[in-house]
Amino acid sequence: MRLNRFSVFHIGKNIHPMNYFNQTLNKNIFEKVANKCYLPTNNLLLKLIDQYKGEFKVSFSLTGTFVEYCQQYMPSLIESFQQLFSTGSVDLIEETYFHSLASLYDELDEFEEQVLMHREMIKQLFNYRPMVFRNTEAIYDNRIARKVADMGYKGIITEGTEKILGWKSPNYLYKPINANIKVLLRNYTLSDDIGFRFSAQGWVGFPLTADKYAKWMANTPGDIINLFMDYETFGEHHWPETGIFDFLEHLPEEVFKHENLEFITVSEAVKRYEPVGEIDVPWAISWADEQRDVSTWLGNEMQHACFRELQDIGKKLKEKGDRDLLNIWRKLQTSDHLYYISTKGFEDGAVHQYFSPYDDPYDGFINYMNILQDFKQQLIQ
Amino acid sequence: MKVAMIGWEYPPFKAGGLATHCLGLTSSLADKNILVDFYMPKTKHRVYNNKGNLRIIEVGETEIYPYDRPDEKDLSGAFFESVYKYNNLVVQKVSRKHDIVKYDLIHVHDWLTMKAGIALKEKLGIPLIVSIHSTEYDRSGWLYPNQWFIDIEREGMEKADLIITVSHFTKRTIVEKYGINPDKIRVIHNAVYPLGEGEKKNLVLFLGRLTIQKGAEFFLKAAKKVLEYENTKFVVAGTGDMFHRLVDTAVHLGIANNVIFTGRLTDEEVRHIYQIASVYVMPSVSEPFGITALEAASAGTPTIVSKTAGVAEAFKNCLKVDFWDVDEMANKIISLLRYDALRNTLAKEGKREIMLFTWDRVADKTIEVYREVV
Repeated sequence: MRLNRFSVFHIGKNIHPMNYFNQTLNKNIFEKVANKCYLPTNNLLLKLIDQYKGEFKVSFSLTGTFVEYCQQYMPSLIESFQQLFSTGSVDLIEETYFHSLASLYDELDEFEEQVLMHREMIKQLFNYRPMVFRNTEAIYDNRIARKVADMGYKGIITEGTEKILGWKSPNYLYKPINANIKVLLRNYTLSDDIGFRFSAQGWVGFPLTADKYAKWMANTPGDIINLFMDYETFGEHHWPETGIFDFLEHLPEEVFKHENLEFITVSEAVKRYEPVGEIDVPWAISWADEQRDVSTWLGNEMQHACFRELQDIGKKLKEKGDRDLLNIWRKLQTSDHLYYISTKGFEDGAVHQYFSPYDDPYDGFINYMNILQDFKQQLIQ
Repeated sequence: MKVAMIGWEYPPFKAGGLATHCLGLTSSLADKNILVDFYMPKTKHRVYNNKGNLRIIEVGETEIYPYDRPDEKDLSGAFFESVYKYNNLVVQKVSRKHDIVKYDLIHVHDWLTMKAGIALKEKLGIPLIVSIHSTEYDRSGWLYPNQWFIDIEREGMEKADLIITVSHFTKRTIVEKYGINPDKIRVIHNAVYPLGEGEKKNLVLFLGRLTIQKGAEFFLKAAKKVLEYENTKFVVAGTGDMFHRLVDTAVHLGIANNVIFTGRLTDEEVRHIYQIASVYVMPSVSEPFGITALEAASAGTPTIVSKTAGVAEAFKNCLKVDFWDVDEMANKIISLLRYDALRNTLAKEGKREIMLFTWDRVADKTIEVYREVV
């Protein structure tokens, strides 16, 4: 989500808060990615489900922000997801309505509200109640696991990082030490082989073909391989010329050549398998960057300053109870705004810079902080 | 390896960043067992040197301020005469020394020493390295560059075996404006001796020559804008041919009470003011590198630099603006004054990154260039 340029001179000038957001740019980016990725991939998945009589399965996690963009800019995309869901081979995953870091706030009330908003949206659009939850960027710790279990979910997805697993395999279900819920762990090696490395010519696995990949999976011990990736992997991070769509198209065929492989949805996984052990995660992990923690969004003093402002604003807002302003505040919680302020981008390759609309993290901070200051002033009025 | 290096300034005599560069480079080369004879005009100051491999050889008796813009009347005046004289004396002196020392190469810095470099290359038949720290286009702010300087610069670049520039920005300039083959240009970014942090005061600093090149008038216009929102002091440190015009500008803008013109500062004063400044601004119109930005950052002072400045391609932990965009410059100054987190992060990350900018690295890269020609 992109913000407009907002200098200190705009603060206190009664600019309507909807103008914090660069709606033209957001629309353009959305339409571009929809045409490159969402639409063609949806169509391909639909074709594959049909072709393999429902034995090819996928699970989607869609934020409220994404759905709102679809509704505003490309309603046919919603219909396409509904059509996919109606095949019975597509599952839906719960998450916070906004792509926010509400799970890391001092209090979890805002987190709960955003999850309930998402639950309501999925019910409205698909008449469905997801069983499995995945937090923004797979952020996870004991506290989040318990909250999600308390809210009635049967499973939660996070990163299968050695930081929490040690010698244990990500290819089984686990249980948090403090809650009754099943944890699905992303197999980051196999996921990133597609998500990150598919078109990397210097990689030993290059070029990645469907039969090679299916063999790797067939040789992987365990109950389940959780492959989670950005939807933009297909057609955006990897352009069609890389062969990513051919890979996807041939994957089911190659998978079905192996007797020990089949596709299942996340709901089926938590119904079918039992945890083989416990995990203890006192400090939040995520699937981002090398560190697999939350330092991508909360790694420097500037990010912490914005995060504090955001929470302070929330406290004031909830006393005031203005629905429009509440909605603006929630859009401002989108983790992108903090991501752009990460100074890790300087070391962590070009990944941060690739996604950022700013020249550098300092520009990102100034813009975002100016908006937060203006918003705070508008609250008091 | 034995190098005859010809410059025109060396601390404590200092008109610009070149003195700092020559000190850092020659000292680190000497530490790496390169024998350097550094030729420079004789000055009133005593040059101090304790390196065994380094000799400072003073020639003649001229003090030259190469950055001052020449008035028309100067073009045939004492200034140029002294430059010619210095170059001729250097050629004689280096030739005599060469008979004994047997230099491997000649290394000259900027246009002032090019004539000598070219003559020596032809006379002694050894390779010539030319370092470009600034061009006539930079010094004129790209307004009315003087053809006389450009011709000397071009000749030196053409005759050089290899050229060292302090940035890719300068490399582009000499490819595009001087028509030099990019294959014989090597980019070596400058370095800094870290200053260490001091106690910050509520002041925003400009430090540099007050010439068209350095863009001090944009600093004053931004100051005007900042003062409508924040109460702070602005310091303009340095001197140059635009001094009086800038004082007038401050008066006309009605900000004279909040702007302090310090005139020329001593090294000790420069160090001090970097350390106590809350923000350093380098709004150069054309800046091949800009060591001052590194000096400020090394003192823990958050720095705003021109987007096109050479330092901006190499040093990440600073804020970047277009020099003409005074609104954005003011936005950034105010943000730095208001947001502790921004100031602290820039100071912390900046000091860490500064550690990469060592003269040791510059010397290593320079030796690589020497090896290419010897």
